[in-house]
Amino acid sequence: MRLIKIFSIFFIFFVNQESYAKEAKSWLKKEIDIIISAYQNTNLPNENKFLMIEQTINNNFAGTGIAKFVAGKSWKSASKDTKLEYIKLFKRHLALNIASMMQGYSNQNYKLTNSNYDEKNKVTLIDMEIFSDTGSIQVTWRVKKSKDRFFVIDLLVADISLVVTKRSEFNSMLKTVDYNLEELNYKLLAQNELSFKKLIN
Amino acid sequence: MHKLFQVLLACIIILLSFNLFAAASDEVDTSSDDFKTTAYEDEIYDPLEGVNRAIFGFNNVADKVILEPVAKGYKNLPSPLQTGISNFLNNLKLPLAAVNQLLQGQGKNAAESTGRFFVNSTVGIFGLVDVADNIGLEQKEEDFGQTLATWGVGDGFYIVLPLFGPSNLRDTTGMVMTMMTDPVNAYAVNQGEAWAIPMRTAANAIDQRSQIIDEVNALRDNSVDYYAAVRSSYYQNRKAAIMNTDDDVLTPLPLISIEFE
Repeated sequence: MRLIKIFSIFFIFFVNQESYAKEAKSWLKKEIDIIISAYQNTNLPNENKFLMIEQTINNNFAGTGIAKFVAGKSWKSASKDTKLEYIKLFKRHLALNIASMMQGYSNQNYKLTNSNYDEKNKVTLIDMEIFSDTGSIQVTWRVKKSKDRFFVIDLLVADISLVVTKRSEFNSMLKTVDYNLEELNYKLLAQNELSFKKLIN
Repeated sequence: MHKLFQVLLACIIILLSFNLFAAASDEVDTSSDDFKTTAYEDEIYDPLEGVNRAIFGFNNVADKVILEPVAKGYKNLPSPLQTGISNFLNNLKLPLAAVNQLLQGQGKNAAESTGRFFVNSTVGIFGLVDVADNIGLEQKEEDFGQTLATWGVGDGFYIVLPLFGPSNLRDTTGMVMTMMTDPVNAYAVNQGEAWAIPMRTAANAIDQRSQIIDEVNALRDNSVDYYAAVRSSYYQNRKAAIMNTDDDVLTPLPLISIEFE
């Protein structure tokens, strides 16, 4: 009898985890399709395409949390206004990075292959395979549930984390300006303008 | 008296030097955030950053002017031809991959790589067709850099090699070992066809570059510091290759929380 109880608990636990991962996977598929359909819509001007994609990314990425993590130790010493400006700029930067990457994949087929719930970190990992004529590339989405909905917290392309790379990149720049977040904001603003021009042309 | 003076002087020097070290360590600025990071960027030891950045700049220009346009041209070839070239080049890597797998104690993978090499070199017409993949013999790459890492050799400092790009002391050593021991290269030299070695290297570079055109452009066009972004990407990618595990285990999870505005 006791064995049945233990077995039942384990069974419920695993079924729960699997349904959780499946739920995240179907949510992610819906959001990726919105981005891809924006790219494939030939009637939309490039600028509008990006604004649509940016909105989708802002709605579904944990932008503020990622921004804070990426800022590293410069975050604490920054003023409230600088932080707000940085978050705004970072969100656009994130959108430009993802939009630029997804632009290359917009004409390719993709498949969400595995989805696993990582109990320890309370994160769902969803693998996506993007197929081209000559091979495929693996992308992993890290998804977290908060207040009854999912948010993307990181994106890994061929084992390279976007968030870790951004943190390292920003840290390298911040080191040269004594971890002054305001200085990073100037650079970020200039970079965003440049990236935006390249993306829409 | 003279001896006493010497002892006193030595004591003063020792005390002073302790004070100096203490003052220096007090100047190291830390915050609580430092201790909960993934420490990826902290692990990248780059004492030659100035020189590396200069070489990186040169490589970047070479990439834009030569490699990227050639890779884009290659990408326009009919896809069966591209796949054939890619398969052929990958097949040539297998003998050394098998050796490295053996050196890393991966007997099963070494047997699979050897099997792949024989099946693809024969049935697969000199490796042009990846027949082995269809019978479950997957391509698993290993190099001397990975072998040295498995044996406990640390990364060493970060180096950007002219034309070859990002590396570190360990992986550069591995690369030299690969060049010296590759049986395919040795065979080419033995047959008086040494010209084939740089051709093979160039073909590999074009084939690999053609597979990451969009990714490189996305990174280059959207980086505040492209050098640092490539450096971080290199380390993450190598760590993943060395650990031979799934990516959910490879990259530490950024400790971030979801915030709502």
